[in-house]
Amino acid sequence: MSSSFLRAEKIGMRFGGLQVLSDIDLEIGERSLTAIIGPNGAGKSTFLNVLTGVLRPTEGVVAFRGQAIGGLPLHRIARLGIARKFQIPSIFSSLTVVENLQVARWGSARTEWPEDELLEMIGLRDRRSVQGAELAHGEKQWLEIGMAIASSPTLLLLDEPTAGMTPQETADTAALIHRLNKKLAVIAVEHDISFVRALGADTLVLHQGRFFRQGPFAEIEADEAVRDVYLGRR
Amino acid sequence: MRDPSWLIAFAIGLLLLALLPTWVDSYNLTVLRDALIFGLFAASLDFFWGRTGILCFGHSVFFGLGAYIMALVSMTPDIPLPSLLGLLAGITGAGLLAGAVGYFLFFGGVRGSYFTIVTLALSVIAQQVAVSWSSVTGGDTGLIGIPPLMFGGLDLSGDVASYFTVVALLATVLLGLWALSRGRWGRILTAISDNEMRAAALGHNAALRLTMTFVISASTAALAGALYVAMAGLVAPDLIGLLLATEVIVWVAVGGRGTLIGPVVGAVLVQRAQQEISSFNPSLWPLIIGCVFVLIVFLLPEGVLSIGTRIRALFRRGAA
Amino acid sequence: MEVAATTLLNALTLISILALVGLGLTISFGLMNVTNLAHGEFVAIGAFSVYYIQSLGGSFWLGLMVAPLAGAAAGFILEWLILRHLYDRPVGAILATWGISLILQQSLELIFGLGAKPVVPPVDGVSDLGLITYPTYRLILISIAATTLLAVLLLLRRTGFGLDIRTVIQNREMAEAVGINTRRAFAVAFAFGAAVAGLAGALVSPLATVLPQMGVNYLANSFFVVIVGGAGSITGLLAGSSFVGGFTSILNYQISPSLAQALVLTAAIVLVRLRPNGFVPVGSRFS
Repeated sequence: MSSSFLRAEKIGMRFGGLQVLSDIDLEIGERSLTAIIGPNGAGKSTFLNVLTGVLRPTEGVVAFRGQAIGGLPLHRIARLGIARKFQIPSIFSSLTVVENLQVARWGSARTEWPEDELLEMIGLRDRRSVQGAELAHGEKQWLEIGMAIASSPTLLLLDEPTAGMTPQETADTAALIHRLNKKLAVIAVEHDISFVRALGADTLVLHQGRFFRQGPFAEIEADEAVRDVYLGRR
Repeated sequence: MRDPSWLIAFAIGLLLLALLPTWVDSYNLTVLRDALIFGLFAASLDFFWGRTGILCFGHSVFFGLGAYIMALVSMTPDIPLPSLLGLLAGITGAGLLAGAVGYFLFFGGVRGSYFTIVTLALSVIAQQVAVSWSSVTGGDTGLIGIPPLMFGGLDLSGDVASYFTVVALLATVLLGLWALSRGRWGRILTAISDNEMRAAALGHNAALRLTMTFVISASTAALAGALYVAMAGLVAPDLIGLLLATEVIVWVAVGGRGTLIGPVVGAVLVQRAQQEISSFNPSLWPLIIGCVFVLIVFLLPEGVLSIGTRIRALFRRGAA
Repeated sequence: MEVAATTLLNALTLISILALVGLGLTISFGLMNVTNLAHGEFVAIGAFSVYYIQSLGGSFWLGLMVAPLAGAAAGFILEWLILRHLYDRPVGAILATWGISLILQQSLELIFGLGAKPVVPPVDGVSDLGLITYPTYRLILISIAATTLLAVLLLLRRTGFGLDIRTVIQNREMAEAVGINTRRAFAVAFAFGAAVAGLAGALVSPLATVLPQMGVNYLANSFFVVIVGGAGSITGLLAGSSFVGGFTSILNYQISPSLAQALVLTAAIVLVRLRPNGFVPVGSRFS
């Protein structure tokens, strides 16, 4: 296998008798921006778990810079430069905002983002000494994105980053991702189409655990077959 | 506890301990000295339990291991620097055992109650081995005639000298553990006990961090054990057994988990109470310890020192 | 050959006792996720019941019937007064049950006085098994234990109450959703485990040194059983008891009992590392 940045080849995933993913390929380059969409149950989250190495696929292989990552311990994957934001905000509730960012930064050898710039970016500068447990839901989401960035990754995976956000917050998140994308590659799993439109990224559509379409979002949006999938006509 | 108030409490405590010999007789001084050694032991447990939330129910194993190794090494005929080598060997031995236990349990994914149970079993067995391996450990009676602390020509065996040795070591170790637990190390530990998977996804090796914390905690316990036998001059199986393992939990719980100073105060106060009560009925003590366990769980989960915080909170509410 | 047969029967004696004591622990651990450090005292209460009945002139068999009732009563009270308030505080439960354990030990000593208590076995002598002779009482012990375990297995597999218990072990929320009264199930299961531990105490009383502090050793050993076998299943209980009991009995011939125990604990710790998902179910190890 050539050592491309991130490459998933012929990915299949089976839980017991249930085939959740079959025969999916994906290859992305450094500082690329990719969105993964699809209706509920398309296997988006499972695919993301496979991409981050948390789940070892039953078929196929995921390689990051040429190294297979399926089933590696979580901290080893993180140290390769892969960061992840979970769907449910999971921050350290007994630590303050700034301590959360510090712990994230100490996990990796590199420190590319100064603390203050990070706090500014995620809009929590005035809340730096507040305990994680006392943050509002949206603030937790932002903090978690901040933690993922603080670990100075070269690949950032976001699982539904705008879940529970207001339209304004969603737009801000898209702008933040564009800004980050200048330094690192981003993959976002999302079902909020307006957010994906704002991202304007290369888009992979999954349907019933299989590859369905891939291309620039404008093309995907214009595709009649994709609409059918979303409206349940197919 | 916030930083300034911890340092103030530490400074006041140290000042008090430093001035005490001017008005306390030498008998009471040695009693306090021994209680402070057990206070150091309590702080060692608190460093692990307080920061990780994982209870070790066999910490006496490390205290006792330090004690027995100190006894055996420093009693070896013609050994150079017996006290120093004994201390180092005891600390290293306990650290290695803790490292092995941590490697098998923490890296095997064991946390919480399972860890507590395995360490409990460890202390039951350690005591049995100490009793039955009598050719080395002296069996039930233990070993006597352990030489007092001597470093080259420096004799620290006198009542006042040994007292100040203990106070100095206690203060140094407490400051060290405190610095460790309020800095990077402690924050990462807090993060791991909050949400281990998240910490791992940020690149932290939780099992390794827990194991290293356990090793530091066990080595500190061994230091206390080694000091104790050098001061007392004898070692016996009750220094490694289950009763001591549970008493140290009481000291930490009474003094307040996660404060480091609290457990030292708890150790001194509880042992004082133990002497008072045992002097008129020795079999009453285990019964009282039992009741204290139950009462702490239901009434004072934050420890006896938390009464102060609660009263202050009451006043503030009254004033507002 | 004779040695092998005797070792086998010795192992069976030990395995029976471990399985009976371990049953209550695996129930409270697997079902309620609670670590009960006062479990060894149920064994002591069972043994003291037999001693007390005999000291009043009653027979061993009467004592054997009273022991599980005494154990059940103690278990019921402990669950009602202490444990049910601590189901969401695992460390609190550990500390409180340890306190209760000390209180029970000291109370037994205050009531019955210092020193070991004599218990007379119901039958003396040995039975000729062809190949070897073996103490008759130990054979009775093994049969009573085996019968009890079989009855427990049937109770869990064939009755409505057993179904409730298995549902709660599988999924507590689901059990509540289908209308099982989990609190009541906990209380009954806990008292039941205590009763079986009391029975075990009565069975060992003619062989063991009956002391208020006798429970601690049974506690440690039966925790090994649960660690090795995994919590919450009868199969795991039997596997764990066989491992610990068999290993200890074989080693007892070569080395001192305490060294044998140390080796068994070491083996159990190593097993946890080698088979993190095998012997021990992941879900119950994390709390």
